Amino acid sequence: MNQIKDFVSRFQTRISLDKNLILKRRDTYFLLNDSLKRLISKDIFYAGTYLGKAKRGKFFPSFNLLRMIAGKKANKVIVDKKTEWLFICGRDIFKQGITEVMGSKKKGDYTLILNQHGECLGFGKILCNLDKVKDGVVIENISDIGDFLRREKQHG
Amino acid sequence: MSDKKKFETRYEELGWEYKDVKPRQAIRINSINAKEVVVTKRLRSLGIELEKIPFLKNGYSIRKSKFSVGATSEYLLGLYSIQEAAAQIPATLFTEPKDNVVLDACAAPGGKTVQLADLMQNTGAIIALDIEKRKLTALSNHLERCHVRNTIVYQIDARQASRLKVKFDRILLDVSYSGNFVTDKDWFKKRTIKDVKRNARLQREILTEAAKVLKDDGEIVYATCSLEPEENELNIDWTIKNLKLQVEKISCYGEKALTSVFGKKLDSSIEHCRRIWPGQTQGFFVCKLKKRGCAQ
Repeated sequence: MNQIKDFVSRFQTRISLDKNLILKRRDTYFLLNDSLKRLISKDIFYAGTYLGKAKRGKFFPSFNLLRMIAGKKANKVIVDKKTEWLFICGRDIFKQGITEVMGSKKKGDYTLILNQHGECLGFGKILCNLDKVKDGVVIENISDIGDFLRREKQHG
Repeated sequence: MSDKKKFETRYEELGWEYKDVKPRQAIRINSINAKEVVVTKRLRSLGIELEKIPFLKNGYSIRKSKFSVGATSEYLLGLYSIQEAAAQIPATLFTEPKDNVVLDACAAPGGKTVQLADLMQNTGAIIALDIEKRKLTALSNHLERCHVRNTIVYQIDARQASRLKVKFDRILLDVSYSGNFVTDKDWFKKRTIKDVKRNARLQREILTEAAKVLKDDGEIVYATCSLEPEENELNIDWTIKNLKLQVEKISCYGEKALTSVFGKKLDSSIEHCRRIWPGQTQGFFVCKLKKRGCAQ
């Protein structure tokens, strides 16, 4: 639970999750609702809303969790259409592709990457102060929704 | 006689002349995630030519696309799923599934599970079962991509669903089947009548377990993408005679199912099932069952 809170705080925001509805299965976290909680028995493979996974002390968020953060006031950048596609393909973000910045512009902070429709595509780490540089790579891609395709290839 | 010829002869005996068909790829808009009009507009702006499938609420066929419809932002954001047209029918046959407890007994890779969640608007609960870990991983990815929140997935054989000690309002049996030649070009080389009979036995075991965990006023939708009557009409005839279930009338795309198969006369209510011979879609069979005495 603390790992989730710590991760979310890196976007300079908070989300409230009912700890009674959080299920931890091995290293994986799920958010249930009351109906699911009533029905659930042990040995689940997946349940409710997948929140993420902790591995060797590091937290790997799900895209569900990123969407939840995106619904709050948090660090976000909006990118143009071309950058959207490059980001989904795993690329880092160039300053020229950013159309709007909300929240932190500070080097080292995490920020969500949104498309022109405000949909969350993933997140990255700000590489240099966004108000100081004019071009070049400014956000490192950490996780993007293209991962669904990469997983399909991996699992067949 | 080659296996292909044997199957073709069987289809002729059932009243259908074999022809090679290539139905268009189809998608289904996930209405919980976006409005249909918005998604179709976005896809058309990418140069994807869509055509509404007349017998489906949120289904479109792909007339033309320069790239895979499985590689767009809209797909990755869960705004639509790639789902064969006939395969979009079964989940729509349940009477109002919102707030219900639903069993998806052979769920992977999850196209119909996501569709059920969409129809239920993420209310109630879906218990999704399958046995292969690799397929369950694909199912879980599908649920995450499409923002499904009301599903619990177990690695359990559908024939052991009663282990969960839950009674279900609705049960989807999209059972393991022999498939058909439309979706697998080597189908005739791979399949024998012996395979079909083995699958039919497995399907009867699943139907038996489903009847055990169904609430008295519950509904089962049984579907296969097999053309073989052993997995379809003959199994439902067996079900009526052995499981205290009866066939309900449904209104959907497809022909009345067969009530006479290879000289054997079946229960007349089987005509309420739907058989879809390959053409606009792949081959398919679907029906709805309720406990006897609880029919509407």
